[in-house]
Amino acid sequence: MSKVIDVELRSLMKKFQNNIVVQDFNLQVEQGEFVSFLGPSGCGKTTTLNMIAGFLDPDGGDLLIKGQRMNGVPPYKRELGMVFQTYSLFPHMTVAENIAYGLKLRKISKSQIQERVGRVLDLVKLPHVADRYPKQLSGGQRQRIAIARALVIEPSLLLLDEPLSNLDAKLREELRDELKRLHQEIGVTTIFVTHDQEEALSLSDRIVVMNHGFIEQIGTPKDIYNRPASEFVHTFIGKTNRLEGEVAGHEGDSLIIQTIGGLLVEAKSANLMLLPGQKATVFIRPEKIRLSADTAPEGRNRVNGQLKLSSFLGSYTECEVQANGHSISVKLQTVDKGVELVPGKAVSCSWDAEDVLVMPAERG
Amino acid sequence: MTMNKRLSILLLTAPSMVVLLGVFLLPMLLMLLLSFQNDEQAFSVENYLLFAKDPYYAEIMWRTIRVSLWTVLCSLVLGFPVAMFMAQATGKMRGIVTMLILAPHLISVVIRNFGWVVVLGEKGWINEVLLALGLIKEPLRLLYNELGVVIGLTDSFIAYMVLAIATSLYAIDPSLSKAASILGASRVRTFFTVTLPLSLPGLVAGTTLVFSLSMSAFVTPALMGGTSVKVMPVIAYEQIMATLNWPLGAALAFLLLGSTILLVTLYTRLIETKRYKEVFSS
Repeated sequence: MSKVIDVELRSLMKKFQNNIVVQDFNLQVEQGEFVSFLGPSGCGKTTTLNMIAGFLDPDGGDLLIKGQRMNGVPPYKRELGMVFQTYSLFPHMTVAENIAYGLKLRKISKSQIQERVGRVLDLVKLPHVADRYPKQLSGGQRQRIAIARALVIEPSLLLLDEPLSNLDAKLREELRDELKRLHQEIGVTTIFVTHDQEEALSLSDRIVVMNHGFIEQIGTPKDIYNRPASEFVHTFIGKTNRLEGEVAGHEGDSLIIQTIGGLLVEAKSANLMLLPGQKATVFIRPEKIRLSADTAPEGRNRVNGQLKLSSFLGSYTECEVQANGHSISVKLQTVDKGVELVPGKAVSCSWDAEDVLVMPAERG
Repeated sequence: MTMNKRLSILLLTAPSMVVLLGVFLLPMLLMLLLSFQNDEQAFSVENYLLFAKDPYYAEIMWRTIRVSLWTVLCSLVLGFPVAMFMAQATGKMRGIVTMLILAPHLISVVIRNFGWVVVLGEKGWINEVLLALGLIKEPLRLLYNELGVVIGLTDSFIAYMVLAIATSLYAIDPSLSKAASILGASRVRTFFTVTLPLSLPGLVAGTTLVFSLSMSAFVTPALMGGTSVKVMPVIAYEQIMATLNWPLGAALAFLLLGSTILLVTLYTRLIETKRYKEVFSS
């Protein structure tokens, strides 16, 4: 069975006055897929979403939903569901009336409306709030109702505009799981805009990482995390250690880099196109680094240093090690018994060559 | 509240309290007593009975209400779009529009009314232009009738309507109309199902204000209505200043006040349903 494309963006472009905010945006979203637009504020993700919704008209390129060109079609004719950051429930309507709003516009019979409102309230697990007004609900409940209101019209596409960012941390996580469950149950094609990498990683089938109006990378969460296409993607998603240096040589399928601090780093399956002498940047994720109290001789992917800081954060401990002029941050899931993380202690950091990422140094 | 806080509130409001008691409440009370006097200065309700007996007064009262209702309607229909424009505009534009709306009020209402006389009169430019274009054969009567009064009053009070509604519109989350739109509502539909209901507090404030002001307006009906369109404030004025029948004048003034309060109360009762209170109470 060939895959059905629900949304297609072809070289989409948008500018405000002379300021181009989205450029050369190409994307195909498959039916049932959950795609996130991830990037810092001002990267153009919300602008792109607003073009899909119809609140903004593209200045170039084509937008297709279910194979139909949608440029210039007003939002109310697009049959989409959308959830906004500020909930946007109608304050003068009860929960049931809010949910029924889209159904009434579609001239659906009263009994059917009642049934569908009931069903969608069950779906978001809030069957008892039908007669309440939005302001009588908590933030999390409001957002669930907003989701219900968007889903009840059985939209061809669900757009989520940072729906979790107004909630506190615990609720955010709860609602994130809820979104995941709903998507698995209903399977509606979803486009989710967020600046929160964790949300994007946990929810998405694919992530579109954006920066300055351009797409930096499109890929599965694992691709994005493990095989970033650019330094921006790597540093935007998750914490990382960044060591500058130059290529010292090749060794089989490994690349050897000497950092400015004199450290020798071996990287497996790195970009072998890099030539000796070329400037390169090495990245190692803090959670990939091991810490030990023994001070074995230094070598490749092993450096001795001094513990500067350690913060216990419950499920993990964050440490900062000063070594060879580099400040290395380490994230420890478990701390070996007998190892005391006191500042000033001599420690040794090591990591595997597989976990090292090398990129040519950015010019300028 | 602590004693100190109470005391400071009392002291801070004392000057205006004294002024209000001395020059507003006390004279009102004296006028009320006066309205219950007959020619022999004895207590009587005959001034009020006269109103019930003589249809002349009832007709004037009805005209006053009618003119006020038309003024409310005109300021609402003309003012709402302006308020909507202000709500959608940026801060700077809002300031400019507010200034434009308030600027005419820097000029005395008498002068503005005379301005209207120049514009609307038989030899005014509206009639001249229409005659020149051949659209009408005789000059239209735009002055010294109820239409003239409504035009004058709308001009005087529309600012209150615009600002009251605009204040309400500012408070509406702009993403609500986006939400309505994506759910399938056209612009017109969104206006009637979302914007209008949510602007009700401002609409109630604006209409009540314009209605009360129109009911008690004196200068504009006197200047633009002439002798043929008499309203309650005008005949109350005549009784006191021309006929020197102070008790009857006072009675007419209190009848006007009473009916305004009654109508406004009925109106707000009608609008402020259980749902209204639930939605708009803070």
